[in-house]
Amino acid sequence: MWGRATAAAIPGFLLSAGVTGLVCWLLPGPWQSTLVAGIVSFLAVWMAAMALAFQFRSGKRAWAWFSGGAVVSLATLWLLQTLQWVR
Amino acid sequence: MKLKSNTLRTFTSVHTWVGLVAGFALFVAFYAGAITVFHHDLQAWQTPHAPMSTEQGLNDAQRLLDETLARHPKAREHVGMVFPGGEYPQAASYWQDASGTWRYATLDNLDGSDKMPGGALSELVNALHYSLGIPVAGQYLMGIVSLLYGLALISGVVIHLPKLADDLFALRPGRNLKRFWQDAHNVIGVLSLPMHVMFAVTGALLCLVMVVMMALNPLIYRGGLMAALGPAMDTAPVATAAGREQPMGSLAMLHSRSIEVARAQGLVSFEPAYFKLAHAGDANATIEISGESPGSLGPIGAVAMNANTGALLATQLPGSRDANHATLASAYALHFGEYGNTWVRVLYFVLGIGGAFLFYSGNLLWVESRRKRRQLEQGAAQLGMARATVGVCIGVCVAISVAFIATQLAQWPALRIAGDIELTIKTACFVTWALCALWAALRPPVRAAQELLWAAAVTTAFVPIAHGLVTGAWLWMAAMKGEWSLFAIDAGALAMAFGFGWLARATARRARDGEANSVWADPRARAAQATSKLVTGQE
Repeated sequence: MWGRATAAAIPGFLLSAGVTGLVCWLLPGPWQSTLVAGIVSFLAVWMAAMALAFQFRSGKRAWAWFSGGAVVSLATLWLLQTLQWVR
Repeated sequence: MKLKSNTLRTFTSVHTWVGLVAGFALFVAFYAGAITVFHHDLQAWQTPHAPMSTEQGLNDAQRLLDETLARHPKAREHVGMVFPGGEYPQAASYWQDASGTWRYATLDNLDGSDKMPGGALSELVNALHYSLGIPVAGQYLMGIVSLLYGLALISGVVIHLPKLADDLFALRPGRNLKRFWQDAHNVIGVLSLPMHVMFAVTGALLCLVMVVMMALNPLIYRGGLMAALGPAMDTAPVATAAGREQPMGSLAMLHSRSIEVARAQGLVSFEPAYFKLAHAGDANATIEISGESPGSLGPIGAVAMNANTGALLATQLPGSRDANHATLASAYALHFGEYGNTWVRVLYFVLGIGGAFLFYSGNLLWVESRRKRRQLEQGAAQLGMARATVGVCIGVCVAISVAFIATQLAQWPALRIAGDIELTIKTACFVTWALCALWAALRPPVRAAQELLWAAAVTTAFVPIAHGLVTGAWLWMAAMKGEWSLFAIDAGALAMAFGFGWLARATARRARDGEANSVWADPRARAAQATSKLVTGQE
């Protein structure tokens, strides 16, 4: 249980940030216009991710999947921002 | 829908443990929060004199603003103020001093103080609601509790999902009391689910917004969040001082200009509630007047003007605002029930009390499902849980009612209680709460439950009596004068007192007639019952 709970809290947080960030930046219009909605929905996304963490068979798997997802989503966002494909 | 038994088991234990960890804090938050829905009415209730006679007007507001700006140079940079009338009987101004501390001034206290005006009782109940009354750390604690609460909701829905339709309307009273409580817990949980989801998200938002923003800023906003925040949250464009002096327009002119602007945008009504003023006395002074336009989900909107000339700068009004302002206004209004009329607030009150019941019943279910059926002695965990539930949950109900009574008595000239009223009622509240917890720790749980429920019934029934005694605004007097908010608080207290009495009697019945082997069974009451049945020849 502890493995999955910590996965919910730490990589779950980063994954939720990555997913929310991607949605907010990929929506049409400047990123500033989704600021408040982004922060509100981040909390909802994180709660869902926390619940999802308990679906994994073990804490290790939860950590692995969530960490991988966080790296992929945050790196994609960073790349898109750097290339100025989103603004 | 069919779930794997493994999933079901995992989510059941997630629901149980998250519920136990967060349940106590959530009970306090919901019970105090239900009362906080009537925050402004409570401010009138705790004012010793007739609230109507002290209501101020725009001239008083102007006088307060002039004095604040003259006495406090820091306020000239940024100052906020509530308009008197309607929700706030008194004008109050607020600003941050050189060290960043918020200062508040009223016409009675022009030098300003660190305490928010409006009343110690409504502030205490509000503080219990958002921080359990714990300074600084309490707010973050409640933010984490809100996140756990969200997790408890999701896991609760998952374990309930397979039987959702069957169970929803199955409230099965009868011999199996545990099943009845389980049904009640499920029905209330599912029927008020949308509201609970909204509270979990907006509650976490209100408590953790600064922390979350600081964490998200480098992660997804590339460090640009703080600079973007002003334009996203404020209506007035960020302006720098011109360095040229110019006299400010009158509040009366700006007040009526804001209504005019809202009318021109098609809003039937706009009631200015508060304003933010930047660079007062400068040529570039801006004012942002916020007000309510009833009939919209996010009723708070704002009009920004040049504070000297009243020239329009920008608006964020219902029906014509950007996504940021619409989301913020809706999230805020949804959490506080500030849309619609009084009935929405009554509904929030009922749902709040229902939410408190949800956490209380959750704890009872935990105790019941670990009941040792074949022995009178119950485990230490069940006993501890029963004691904590009784001491914390029923204790806070007693403590809040005592704080209500203390507020009135402390202001009663006949008693000549001197000293800081805020400290008096805080002490009354927390000492009562601690005593209740101690009582629950020392007595058998079922006896403590009955005694504390009766204590809650008696103290709550005494709330309208203390109010009448001290202010002369007895229940019927308030009704005759048409002061319905005062009447509603006193009548509500009476209704709650009956509720506590009913619960106390139900608990006594459980102790006497319910299943024998439980922390909620009372062998002495059962024995007395058996003897009386023998004597009267029943059965």
